Amino acid sequence: MTEIEQYVAPSSLEQAAEYLQRSGEVTILAGGTDLMPQSQGGRLKIKRTLMNIQHIPELKGIAIDGGAIRIGALATITEIMQSELIKKHLPILIEACDHFASDQIRNAATLGGNVCNASPAGDMLVPLLVLDAEVELASKPDGGLTRRRLPLSEFFVGPGKTRRAPSELLAGLRIGLPGAHHYARFFKFGTRPALDIATISIGIAGTLNNGALSSARVAFGAVAPVPMRAPRTEQALEARRLDAATIEAVAGVARDEVTPIDDVRASAWYRKELIHNITKRMLDHVAQA
Amino acid sequence: MKVAEKTKFIQPGTLIGKRIPKMDAPEKASGKTRYIHDIDLPGQLYGKILRSERVHARIKHIDTAAAKALPGVHAVITAADIVDQRPIGVAKDHLPLKTDKVRSLRDEVAAVAAESEQIALAALRLIKVEYEDLPILTDPAEAIKPGATLIHPEPRQPGGQDALKPSGPVAFTGKPDNIAMRFDYCHGDVVQAEAESDAVVEDTFKLHYVTHCCMGVSGMIADFDSSGNLLMYSNTQVPFLHKREFAEYLNMDPGRIRIIQPAIGGGFGSKLDIYPFEVICVFLARAAKRPVKLVFTREEEFISSPTRQPVLLTLRSGCKRDGSLTFRTVHTLHDNGAYTSWGATTPFVMMQTFSSLYRVPNCDYHTVAVYTNNPYAGSFRGYGNLQATFAVEAHMDKLAEAIGMDTLEFRLKNAQEQGEVSGQGMEFDSCGFKECLTTAAERSDFRRKFAENVKNRNAPGAIKRGVGIASMLHVGGGAKIYPSDGCGTILKLDDFGQVTLITGASEIGQGSETVLSQLVCEELGLPMSALTVVNNDTAITPWDVGVHASRTTFIAGNSALGAARLAKAKVLAAAARKFECPAEELDLRGGYVIKAASGEALIDLPRLMRNLHFSDKAELVMTTFYYEPPSSYQDKRYKGNVSAAYAWASQVVEVEVDTETGIVKMTKITAAHDVGRVLNRLGIEGQIEGGIVMGQGYALTESLIIENGVMRNPSFRDYKLVTAPEIPEIDISFIETMDGEGPQGAKGVGEAPAICVAAATANAIYNATGVRICGLPFTPERVYRALHGKGEKLYLAPEKAA
Repeated sequence: MTEIEQYVAPSSLEQAAEYLQRSGEVTILAGGTDLMPQSQGGRLKIKRTLMNIQHIPELKGIAIDGGAIRIGALATITEIMQSELIKKHLPILIEACDHFASDQIRNAATLGGNVCNASPAGDMLVPLLVLDAEVELASKPDGGLTRRRLPLSEFFVGPGKTRRAPSELLAGLRIGLPGAHHYARFFKFGTRPALDIATISIGIAGTLNNGALSSARVAFGAVAPVPMRAPRTEQALEARRLDAATIEAVAGVARDEVTPIDDVRASAWYRKELIHNITKRMLDHVAQA
Repeated sequence: MKVAEKTKFIQPGTLIGKRIPKMDAPEKASGKTRYIHDIDLPGQLYGKILRSERVHARIKHIDTAAAKALPGVHAVITAADIVDQRPIGVAKDHLPLKTDKVRSLRDEVAAVAAESEQIALAALRLIKVEYEDLPILTDPAEAIKPGATLIHPEPRQPGGQDALKPSGPVAFTGKPDNIAMRFDYCHGDVVQAEAESDAVVEDTFKLHYVTHCCMGVSGMIADFDSSGNLLMYSNTQVPFLHKREFAEYLNMDPGRIRIIQPAIGGGFGSKLDIYPFEVICVFLARAAKRPVKLVFTREEEFISSPTRQPVLLTLRSGCKRDGSLTFRTVHTLHDNGAYTSWGATTPFVMMQTFSSLYRVPNCDYHTVAVYTNNPYAGSFRGYGNLQATFAVEAHMDKLAEAIGMDTLEFRLKNAQEQGEVSGQGMEFDSCGFKECLTTAAERSDFRRKFAENVKNRNAPGAIKRGVGIASMLHVGGGAKIYPSDGCGTILKLDDFGQVTLITGASEIGQGSETVLSQLVCEELGLPMSALTVVNNDTAITPWDVGVHASRTTFIAGNSALGAARLAKAKVLAAAARKFECPAEELDLRGGYVIKAASGEALIDLPRLMRNLHFSDKAELVMTTFYYEPPSSYQDKRYKGNVSAAYAWASQVVEVEVDTETGIVKMTKITAAHDVGRVLNRLGIEGQIEGGIVMGQGYALTESLIIENGVMRNPSFRDYKLVTAPEIPEIDISFIETMDGEGPQGAKGVGEAPAICVAAATANAIYNATGVRICGLPFTPERVYRALHGKGEKLYLAPEKAA
C-alpha cells in the first residue's frame, strides 16, 4: 500500500503538463493494467500524486496527420485492433494486438502505457520499432506547452526505464505511412496462444522487391534489457536475395546479436536458439511472399 | 355423483445412463452460489498470517508490540501466546505457529485478527522478526546423506534449543536423520527373474511440483459461541475426520465442534489434511473472542498449499522374448518438504501400479521420503499414480521395442483380466482393461498411425506427428486406508412425496449430490425434482470418511441406495396393507405406487404418505443405512484387497512436435474408461474431460518452479494452466463391466482420467521423434533441449535404498 496524498484527473494536456512540471512526485495512471499488479506486488511504489490521464482528449484517437499515423497514448489495444486505419496501413500492429494478454486487459491497456512501461517483452514495442515509430512527449517547462519527438529506438534505456523526463507526458506515437511493397511481420513466442509474456518476439519489416528486403528493420523482444533494434541483423539482411544460405547467415547474426538472460520463462541459450530458428522461419516466409 | 377416475398406467423408465444436469449448476452459473468468501458473520474479524522470510532459520526474537498497538487490531498471536499448541499433520511433525525455527518459506510465524483485511495487513508489517539463518537443504539426494543438516533434529529436550513449550504435549520428538517415511514392498524374486529375462531396461524419471489451483482458494471462519462450542465454516473434504483431529489439537471435546461446509470451489485432494492456517484461525477466534475469517490470497494459495508429490524414480524392468513381463524393481526418492502431509504416503498407490497394472510375477518397490526445506506435498487427484504410471508405461514401450513386439500386443499380453488376483492381493472382480486397450487403439487408429509416424521421423519438415498409448489402474470401490471406509445415509420422505437425502458425502464440485439423488430417485420411481440433499453439516449428516480415493459414487452411492431400498420396502408394505395384496406385486414408478406387472397406478406417493402420517398408527418413512465395502485393510507387507472394485482406462494421445521450437501440441485424446456403468452420462463426461485437461497441464505446462526453497512463479501468469484453445479434441468411450458390488454396477472414476495423460504423451513424443524424455513437464524448452542432445541427465544415487 502507498500513502497517496493527492489524486488528480486533469481534463487537458496543458493541465497535466502543469502538474508534472510542479512536482516530479507523480505516478501516471492510464489503463492501470501494469500499474496495479506492479504496485500490489510491491515492485512499484506509487508516488505522492496519482494522476489519472483518462480524461485528456488530446491523448485519444487514431488519425492520419501530415503523412503519418498518429496513435494517441490513450488508444487501447482493442481500439487499435478495431481501427480501419491500422488494418489498412499497419497490419503488423493487429498481429501484435492479437497476441496481447486477454480481451479484458486489451480493453483497458493503452498503447502509451505499454510504451512507457518499457518492458523488454512489451508486445507492442517490437512492431513499433520496425515501423520506425516516434514518441511525442509533451511538457510545460516555461509557461508554454511544448512537444518534442524522439525515435522509439532511442526511447528505451533499460527495463522499465525511458528517456521520458519526470516533467514529460507521452502524448502519442507517430508512424510514417508505409510506402508501396512494404512488408512487416511480427512473431511472438509464448507457451500458449494468449495470456502469456513473450519468451521472445521478433519483428521484421522493409520494402520487399524481388525476394529481398531493403530498408530492412529487425527488432527483438525479451532478449535484451530493452526491446531492441538489431542493426547487425538488418545489415546482413539489407537488399540481399533471400536464398537458403543468406537466410541461414542472417539467422546466425541474429542469434549472436541478442543478449538474453535466464529467467522463469526460459534460459538464455534457448532464447538464442529460438531467435535463430524463428528468424529463419520468418525469412523463409518472406522469401516465399 | 363421483366420476370414477380413469385408470392410469405408468410406463417404465430409467434415469440411469441419462444426461442429468448437475443440481448446483444453475446457482453456480448465475453467480449465486455462496462460497466461503461470500459468508460474513456479525462481528467478524479478518485473520492474516505472517509467514517466514527465510527458508531455514532460527527465530531469535519476535516483536509484536507495534502491531498490537495498531487501532482495529484485536489479536496478535505467536507460538509464545499459544501454550497448548500441538503438532499437526500425518506424522505430527508440524506446529501451526513456529516456535524455535522456520523450516520453509511458507512457515507461519505470527497471526493477526483485525477489523478489516487492510488493518490486518498493516499490522503484519509492524511485526519484527529477528532470524539467524541456518544451512538450507533443498536437494533430497543431499538431505539423505549422512552428516546432512537435520531439518527436525532430535531430541527435542525440554529447555533445549529446539524445545517446544514444556506444557505442550508433543507426539513428535525429532529424527536422527532426514528420513520422514520409508516404504518397502516385494513379491516374488526379482534377482532370479532378471537372470531369466531376455530384455532388461532401466531409466530414472523426474516428476515435478504442481499444485491444485482450485478456483476457490483456501479459507475458513471460526466462531465460538458463549458456551465455548466451536463452529467452523470450512472447505474441508473430510469433515468427520477433521472434527476429531481438531478436538485433539485444540484439547476440546469433539462433541463441541461443528463443521459446516459452504459450497467448495474445488478440492482435488488439497483439502484432505489439516493445515496450520485452520488451527491458527481458531486460535485467533479464541484470542479475539470474535468470529474470525481467514481466506488466502491467490499468491498465498500457491505458496502455502500442498503440492503434488515430486519424485525421483528409478525403474528397472524385464521381459522374455515371448513378451511376458518378468520383473520390476523400483526405487523412489520423495522430496517430503519440511513437514509431512499425505504426499509422503503416495507409495500406497504407486506400488499398486508397479505391482498390479500389468501382470508382473516379481516386483520390488522401495521409497524413501526425505525432509528438505522445500514446500511440502499433499494428496492430489491420482495420489502418486500419475508418477508411477509415467514410469511404467515408458517401460512398456521400451520393452516392446527391445524384443521387437507390437507395443499394443505387448500390453494386451500382460494386461490383467477379470478374476485375477494380483501379486499385491488386489482382486479384480470386474476388469475391462483389455477392452479399454483395444477400444482406445481402434478408435484412434493407433497401430496405423504409430507405424507411419516411425517411418516419417526423418522426413523433411519441422513438425513431427506422434501417437502414444498408456493405461491405468486405480481404486474404484473405495480404499480401506482407515479402519472404516464407510458412509452413512438418512433418508426422509415427507407428506408431499418429497425426499430429503442426508448423506455424509461432501460435494466438492464433482457432482456427487446429483448422482446420489439419481440413485435414490431411480429406486423410488421419482423425478430428480423430488430430491433435496443435505450434505454439509456434521451436526446433521451421518459419518463418512471423506471425499478421496474416487470413492463417493461407489460408497456413498451404495449407502444411499441401501437407505432408498429400505424406504421403498416400507412404502410398499404400507401400500400392500392398503390394497390388500402382496408387496411383491407392487412397485414405485413415476411418483405412484403401481402394480408391477401392468404398470397400473394405484395411488400417488404423496397421498399414501399422508395416509401413513395422519392415521392413528402414524408412521414415518425415515430410514438409515450404513455401507461398509467388502474390502480389507492392507497387511504390514502392503498386501490385501484394499478396494471393493478397480477402475481401468487406456488413453491414446496424439501430438505434433515442432522440432525447431520444442512446442508439443496435443491434437487428440482418445480415452476408453472401464467405469463399471455410466450413471450420469453428462456428469461422467465432464469429470473425464476435466481430468484429462488436468493431466494435460501436468504433462505440458504446469510447473511450480522452486529454487533454493523459493517459489519463483506463485501466480497464474507464470504458473501455466491449460487455456481453452489448447484443449485437444477428446473422444471418450465407456466400457461398462457392470461391477457386481457397485451401485447399479458403477465404479468410481474421479481420479482416473488425469492419471495416464502424461505417460501417453511421453510415448507420443517418442513415437514422433525417437527421443525419450524422462522428466516433466514437456515445456518447449525441455523438449527442445532433449531433441538437441542437451536434455537433463537424471540419476538416482545407489544409496537411494539404503
